[in-house]
Amino acid sequence: MAASAADVRSALSIPDATLAAGPSQQKKPAATPAARKPEGISRELYSLIGPSAPSIAAQLAKPRLKQKPNLTGGGKVKWEERPFKNAARKDGLELRHWVKASTDPAAEYPFAKYNVPPVSYTYSQDEFTRFLEDKEWTKEETDYLFNVVQEYDTRWYIIHDRYSYPEGTPRTLEDLKDRYYSVCRKLVRNRPWAGDEASRGQLISTFQFDKERELTRKKYLLSLENRTPEQIAEEEALYIEIKRLEQNERKFKRDREDLLRTIAGIDSGLPDIVEDDGGPLGITVDTKKLRKKGSIMDMDSPATPSALSISTPLIKRPPTAKNTAYDAQHCIIRTDLSANAPATKAAHQAAYIRSFKLPVPKAAIAPKIAQAFSELGLSHSRLVMPTRENCAQFEALLEATTALVETKRVVDKVEYDIQVLKGQLGMRTSQPAEGEDGGEGEDAGGGDSKTNGDSMEVDDAPENEDERAQSVVSTRSGRSRKHVSSCDV
Amino acid sequence: MVNYGGDEVSALVVDIGSSSLRAGYAGDDTPKAIIPTSYGYLPAPPDADISMLDVTEGKDPVNTPKFAKIYIGQNGPSIWREGMEIGNPVIDGLIQDFNPIPPLIEHALKEVMRCTPSEHPTLVTEPTWNTTANRERMAEIMFEEFNVPAFYIANTGVLNAFASGKGSALVIDVGQSMASVTPVVDGFVLRKGLVYTALPKLVHAHARHTLASPTQSRRAIELLPHQLISNKMPIEPGQSPRYTLREDRMQGTTESWRNWAEAREVDEWIQSVAGVLDQGWNDQYAASRPAKQYEFPTGYNTYFGADRFHVGEQFFWHSPQLASNPSLPKNIPALITESLRACDPELRQVLMGNVVLTGGGSLFSGFTDRLSTELSRTFPHVRCTKIHAPGNPVERRYGGWLGGSILASLGTFHQLWISKEEWQEHGKAIIGQRCK
Repeated sequence: MAASAADVRSALSIPDATLAAGPSQQKKPAATPAARKPEGISRELYSLIGPSAPSIAAQLAKPRLKQKPNLTGGGKVKWEERPFKNAARKDGLELRHWVKASTDPAAEYPFAKYNVPPVSYTYSQDEFTRFLEDKEWTKEETDYLFNVVQEYDTRWYIIHDRYSYPEGTPRTLEDLKDRYYSVCRKLVRNRPWAGDEASRGQLISTFQFDKERELTRKKYLLSLENRTPEQIAEEEALYIEIKRLEQNERKFKRDREDLLRTIAGIDSGLPDIVEDDGGPLGITVDTKKLRKKGSIMDMDSPATPSALSISTPLIKRPPTAKNTAYDAQHCIIRTDLSANAPATKAAHQAAYIRSFKLPVPKAAIAPKIAQAFSELGLSHSRLVMPTRENCAQFEALLEATTALVETKRVVDKVEYDIQVLKGQLGMRTSQPAEGEDGGEGEDAGGGDSKTNGDSMEVDDAPENEDERAQSVVSTRSGRSRKHVSSCDV
Repeated sequence: MVNYGGDEVSALVVDIGSSSLRAGYAGDDTPKAIIPTSYGYLPAPPDADISMLDVTEGKDPVNTPKFAKIYIGQNGPSIWREGMEIGNPVIDGLIQDFNPIPPLIEHALKEVMRCTPSEHPTLVTEPTWNTTANRERMAEIMFEEFNVPAFYIANTGVLNAFASGKGSALVIDVGQSMASVTPVVDGFVLRKGLVYTALPKLVHAHARHTLASPTQSRRAIELLPHQLISNKMPIEPGQSPRYTLREDRMQGTTESWRNWAEAREVDEWIQSVAGVLDQGWNDQYAASRPAKQYEFPTGYNTYFGADRFHVGEQFFWHSPQLASNPSLPKNIPALITESLRACDPELRQVLMGNVVLTGGGSLFSGFTDRLSTELSRTFPHVRCTKIHAPGNPVERRYGGWLGGSILASLGTFHQLWISKEEWQEHGKAIIGQRCK
């Protein structure tokens, strides 16, 4: 088999048969001697390691080396010096250069294709008299202009530099451009046009030139250049001042928001406050006035618009009536941003699954809630079908359970307190002399005022458990209720 | 080959400046032949037979009627010869005397490069303020005397911009005799913005005056070249020199050779000692910089302190009493301002962002730093002023040649050559049409 493969190779004149044969060729001869016991290994040892010893096979196989680079053949390139003619030239100049002998001697000079003549417009005397008459420009001078434009390939700065029409009035760059482009426009407009109107309009638009605008622009550029160093310094200083004021304003606003949140709770209508706060706007107006006073041309400096754009306040858009109608029609339910998110940051709320945002019970009472749920035969952590209604119900349930557990805890505590107090009362009745002082002391040391208040309540209405539970819930867990409502409305 | 746009046709590039003539093959990064433009000659006796005395071979005697013998190259003017005068064809950057030009070019191409000009297209450079007559004469010399197959004459301002890889640039070229500011846009010179003065000459004169006039601490310095001194003794700094003159040579030394040799001494002193402060003149700062020691060929040596910075100050600032003189060459900031004022306001920002500093004179110690200070001071509204100043002295001194080398090796350039055929057909007019 190996021999036949070699034959095929030699027939196909593939040079490196041994190297190309590779591992598949080498393995087979290596396997055959390994089946027999090699010389120099005792029979016992050989029977232990057996014929499948990989180390021996590896030793017997020839190491495979990287293929040697082919240095001998194929690297030779013949170069020769050849005369060539340049198709871009009008004369028959022959220069000599070195090229690979393999290149085609008849081929066109490769650089000739870069010789692109510019498109030029010419006009007849008749066309000139009909369309192109201008009291500023004679036909001769227009001809001259077109020649120069052609010669310098519409490089306008050069054209303006080299333009010197004898006995002509001195022309500005804008004069030249205006004349050239207006002539081109008129020619395109008045000549028969082969293509459609759109392409003609497009061509005309490439010849559009607004001289007045260009002149104004140049004037602005000049005035920008003619600022004195003091003016530039003042401008810089003002710019830095604006930045500083803006930063101060932002900081102030943030502080105020923090303060409001601390005082008035989480969603105390902060968006409204942001909206009616005209601070940054007022500042930019002020600085604008300042800048105007400083130097009039500063208004045109590029720094001004950027400063303005930065200070534009981010206004929160309230939902319009149209939006609400649209939402109702398409069953879109909008949820407010979570009140936990900082109101200053216009945080982007990514899409999320409703069930992910279900409230989690507090860690302290979580086991009790779990217990209560399991008593009801429910899973407290997972909803099988987390629709909006289900989620709301689940939340309500969770909330109720939390309230229940809390109430239970309070009740337990109060009962304990009652027991203690009863015990004390018993002691006081038995020992009336020291009772007063001891009672006061117990009260003062008896923990926070809230439990005290609760205990008073309990004293007032010890029977009415439900009512008391309600009141407890309503006073203390406003936070979690707010949270729920804001999460999924 | 096509990738980088190069196609070498073994063109020659010849760049003639005030101090040296550079020649080499296009595509090289350094000229092969650099010879001084100054040449030594023995004046022809008025009634002698010129063709008999003219020993330089291959030269048309009609074009060199002035010289009995001409000495060119490294062993030309620098070797003392009895009665040898020194001439320089280039005055204020322009070739004023075309008689020695063919021998100079011939020496560079045939003696130094050992090539045959008739086989190579040749690109010659010209200063921006060159006259039409001059460039036509140059074309005539190349075509008629050297028989070049093709010729082109290119502007040094444009070539310097090309050498730094820019199509648009403000080229500040400080040479040996002229300082020029050339706005280049898209490979064309804006002629209205071109300004040039003989500022380096003023600096040179100032330096010479500084050396030749005595101060409180030192005596006036004799600027004797080493060729005229037979021996000297080593002495302490500031002591009067002890040397013996070569009395045998004093007799045969011509005035022009003496001038040339002294100018060389001054130039060497400028190159090794003189400098310019990078922040403008400040007595205290100048005094705080270390003094430099310099020894003259007479053996006299001394330390130069603040004096050496006064020399460079001439490039950038003229004292008010000097400035009232209307013939005073303008300083560099004034040149730049004048040049920019002539340009379109839109171009100014572009040009200031592409300042190319070139020429041997710009290698003056501290020149680049001072220039950037002056630019930011004079043009505070320009946001980014960028100075391109090659650090390699060869690139800085021979920027014009280097740009020519780049240009003449471009494949797209070969359509611009003026061929001999065109020259014969159209005559001198073709030069102005082709080389814009």
